[in-house]
Amino acid sequence: MIKTGMRKVGLRKHVAEADLAVYAAGDLSWWTRPLTHLHVSRCAVCKGRAEAYRADQQRIRELADELPTGLNWDRLAAEMHANIHVGLEAGECVTPRTGKRGIPAGWRVAAAMAGFTALLISAWWLNMPAAQTASLGRAMKAIAHWQISSRGLRFEDSGPLVEATAAGIELRENGSALAVTHGVNSRPVAVSLSVQGSARARYIDSDTGQVTITSVYAQ
Amino acid sequence: MRSRRPLPHGRGSVANGRGTVAISVAIFFFASALVAGAQGFGGQGFGQQSLDHRIDLPHDSPVSLVGDEWGGSAANVRGGAFVLDVRVSLSLRNSSQRRIHGITLAVLAQETAPGGKGSISVPSLDVAPGESFSVRGDLHLLRPISAGTRPMVEVDLDGVLFDDLTFYGPDKLHSRRTMMVWELEARRDRRYFKTLLEQAGREGLQKELVASLSRDADRPQFNVQTVRGRATNADPEHDVQFAFLRFPEAPVEPMDGVARIAGNEARTPKLVVHNRSDRIVRYLEMGWIVRDQQGREFLAATVPAEMRLPPRSSSQILQDAALRFDPRTSIEGMTGFISSVEFMDGSFWIPSRVELDDPTLRRVVAPSPEEQRLVQIYRKKGLNAVIEELKKF
Repeated sequence: MIKTGMRKVGLRKHVAEADLAVYAAGDLSWWTRPLTHLHVSRCAVCKGRAEAYRADQQRIRELADELPTGLNWDRLAAEMHANIHVGLEAGECVTPRTGKRGIPAGWRVAAAMAGFTALLISAWWLNMPAAQTASLGRAMKAIAHWQISSRGLRFEDSGPLVEATAAGIELRENGSALAVTHGVNSRPVAVSLSVQGSARARYIDSDTGQVTITSVYAQ
Repeated sequence: MRSRRPLPHGRGSVANGRGTVAISVAIFFFASALVAGAQGFGGQGFGQQSLDHRIDLPHDSPVSLVGDEWGGSAANVRGGAFVLDVRVSLSLRNSSQRRIHGITLAVLAQETAPGGKGSISVPSLDVAPGESFSVRGDLHLLRPISAGTRPMVEVDLDGVLFDDLTFYGPDKLHSRRTMMVWELEARRDRRYFKTLLEQAGREGLQKELVASLSRDADRPQFNVQTVRGRATNADPEHDVQFAFLRFPEAPVEPMDGVARIAGNEARTPKLVVHNRSDRIVRYLEMGWIVRDQQGREFLAATVPAEMRLPPRSSSQILQDAALRFDPRTSIEGMTGFISSVEFMDGSFWIPSRVELDDPTLRRVVAPSPEEQRLVQIYRKKGLNAVIEELKKF
């Protein structure tokens, strides 16, 4: 009832016994303490009771200080520990089992890590260019087969790459297309690639025969 | 009285279990946020914006803008950049006094970084003064958001080639060189077809056009990638020598060549060429044909080289680049041939039709843009239209 102590102070005229005891011990909550203190300072009855509680507490402390001779603290702690265990075990016996036993904490951590790994793989798969994945795969394969040359592993760098296919030409970097040429509703009649990093695609207008050549440049 | 002693083990396990669950939930939300964030950052379709554009023609340009159409062009945000979908159709007028035989337009989203530059060229033109013609292109380019608040693409004139082989333009993309080669190839092929018409008649010309059509359909096309200055293949490397197709009339002769091969990757080609002409060579281009383990051959790439090669002297060409093919492809052999040479005086050499009449070259090298144009006219309009077209030149 401590949490409703301030209201009771107003309703009952005097502070409740339990609240007074807690107040005297200094453990009353901070939001009820000011009103209780105000009442006790003005009410002789409550003030007397509070002082009586304080006197009792003082007396108990003095008695507690007079410890029995030859007290073994380690043994006392061990007994307390044992009693708590006995209490818990007894509680397990009398409490009905409502469900399955919980999953061990180690498995929970493993499950959390598996979920996190799955999310990371999804993020990689959704966002990393295929070329980068292939490059990483090649590097892993080389490591697995111990195919590391004297110059170390050769990784694909991030420079631009020019590709010519029957469908057209494309300039790519990190697996993403930077520049592409498509004919308007048509495929090129010829594509060509230069080792200096450019590519051309040749288109012919089917009606007029006009030739249009589009090019992309890596540099 | 409050105890500060630890709780018995059984209670502690319960508390630890609750902590684990709380940590797991926190990790789940953190990782989910990571996934969602990464998706949002790397994903497409963040928002589409209209594309600002600018067409920049110099005041003394030989072409003037009649009209432009940008339908279908848009900009999408992807990560920290705009992906520009450029679909442009320009109508230009020849405002010069000479006939235009080729034009190259630079399409710029950003000039310095990869992915921001492209070009549209139209060879084999024959536009009289005052006449209009159209240039259409479809490119996807990249522009960093930091480069400006609005997505922007700029179309500049890089060069115009006239019928007298004179050139106008800043030539930032070396379009003079490429358009000159296309024009010389066009003249060579028109001359060839005209001669054929005169000597073998309509049937002879038709037979050649049908053969070209057939070769076009049968030409092998493999997926090839090129990267500069690196190797990614973990397979053991070995050197493979180039074989060469030598053209008797070529001013430059390939002498020796080797490339490092590792599985499906060929890199760092080293070639030695000899200038047997009386003129200084400043640029040459070699074709690089690759043969796989099944004996199939295809034109993998061209090897361009800027140089200053005096008459009767040799030089080495070294390109720090790699070609990568389909992972199932194993490179067994390589063939090189000189495809064009530019002299210091600005003149060019290209192989003749006789020199190109090699079975390997006929099979793997695409015909000139002009031959493909004439074949398309034949396919669409018939032989008479091709003959009329040849008479124009």
